[in-house]
Amino acid sequence: MIVLQNLIDAVSLGAVYALAALGIGLIFSVMRLINFAHGELIMVGGFTLYTLAGQPLLVMILAALLTSTVLALGMERVAFRTLRKASPATLLISSFAVSYLIQHIVLLAFGSRAMGVAFLPELGTAIDLGGLRIPLLQLVTIAVTLVLMAGLVAFFRLSETGLQMRAAAEDFTMARLVGVKANRVIAFAFAISGVLASIVSFYLVAQTGSVSYKMGVSMVLIAFVSSVIGGMGSIAGAALGGFLVGIVSVSLQAYLPVDLRPYRDAFVFLLFVLFLFWRPDGLLASRADRDRV
Amino acid sequence: MLKIRDLHVSYGNIAALRGISLDVGKSEIVAVIGPNGAGKSTLLLAIAGVVRARAGSVEFDGRAITGQQPEALVTTGLSLVPEGRHIFGSLSVAENLRLGATVRRDRQEVARDIDRVLAMFPILRERYRQRANKLSGGEQQMLAIGRAMLARPRLLLLDEPSLGLAPLIVAQIYEAVRALRDQGVTALIVEQNVGRALSAADRTYVLSSGVIAMSGKSAEFAGNAAFDAAYFGVAEAAR
Repeated sequence: MIVLQNLIDAVSLGAVYALAALGIGLIFSVMRLINFAHGELIMVGGFTLYTLAGQPLLVMILAALLTSTVLALGMERVAFRTLRKASPATLLISSFAVSYLIQHIVLLAFGSRAMGVAFLPELGTAIDLGGLRIPLLQLVTIAVTLVLMAGLVAFFRLSETGLQMRAAAEDFTMARLVGVKANRVIAFAFAISGVLASIVSFYLVAQTGSVSYKMGVSMVLIAFVSSVIGGMGSIAGAALGGFLVGIVSVSLQAYLPVDLRPYRDAFVFLLFVLFLFWRPDGLLASRADRDRV
Repeated sequence: MLKIRDLHVSYGNIAALRGISLDVGKSEIVAVIGPNGAGKSTLLLAIAGVVRARAGSVEFDGRAITGQQPEALVTTGLSLVPEGRHIFGSLSVAENLRLGATVRRDRQEVARDIDRVLAMFPILRERYRQRANKLSGGEQQMLAIGRAMLARPRLLLLDEPSLGLAPLIVAQIYEAVRALRDQGVTALIVEQNVGRALSAADRTYVLSSGVIAMSGKSAEFAGNAAFDAAYFGVAEAAR
């Protein structure tokens, strides 16, 4: 029974990590940018919920989705489009700059203390399922993630734009040579990453009941680790990596000696380092990193 | 149709093309031959907008296209089949062909054109649902050409279409190029296979160390002492 309980914990945490990792992995696959400012897309979604607290639920959700998406498109347009031909290192540094800039704007506007938000408190209750006490939030998280992933798979498989994004992820120059518009697929990737980020913010705010200007930082680190484990450049790999990191985290939480549990994440990162010795390219290494045209 | 004047391209401090002038007329097949590192691929990449020219001009159908983006150039009727083919290996043959028609909106005509490509290269019909990285080199080259055809180009740029392929496959690919010309498609082909290039092309340019060493009707090249000197001479010197 306890095993099953842990499994559900693991899958729901893995689902959140997978959504965050997909946001990072998607952008990397089309433009070789590791977007550390992805955490701020999550954070801004959370602060939109905070600002609109008390409004109808649908208004809060739609506003947060919109804010994160617009911010994602904005950072692409202002910070990353001009640097598209720059090296991945330059792109990475500029994503740190964007990250710190947004964090400190929010710090100036809202202060440094975490602030409470009542967002979907009903999800805090647990329901009985054949002897198991399962928090509703976990079930909703798993369900939402499954729906989103099915939607993404359908988008990539069936739509013209999805096909173009897969082509661009594999060989960006060749995709442009058949007429795929570089600006359009990259903007699309950022828009999707914005939507994914705000959904992660819903989970974080519902779970912790608070927002702070640093709330995206640890999530983006986990997302980055997950997408590396999956294989940078592979969209499916990012999702897989997220689930794996979630499962490992919950297992450590459950089976580490009690006095070591507060250091769970240190063990997660230690295992990550060991993993890199074994598979430096990740599980589903992408062919896209070979030389381009 | 294509008019290039005094084209210069550099990679950093290294000059790859040093003042190329070249013309391709409508429905012509023109070959560019030359040793490794002569700048042949760079020439095609510069025409297709992948690499930027430092100086000089490229005109396509009387319009200056220098400095335009690759995705914009496809819509003007210019398609590049790059060296190494660059098919999308993780996608199916069908998806690769669909991507070839990215710039088109006439879905029914696209379906008919896909049929034409499959009729031209029947092996692709057998492999239609397979991942493209499962294809042999020759099949990949056919797919790359078919994918380029689906944009309905008026000018096809082919970079080393015979590289690493068996003679029988090479013959089939050049057969396709000739068939396309009969349908009014112009082709500019870069080749290392001199015999192939000379027999397929109406006119040929010899490129060496970033400049045109010689040009003329292909038929006049064979056994021509000046050609031997221009081609093999520079090949010796490049060593």
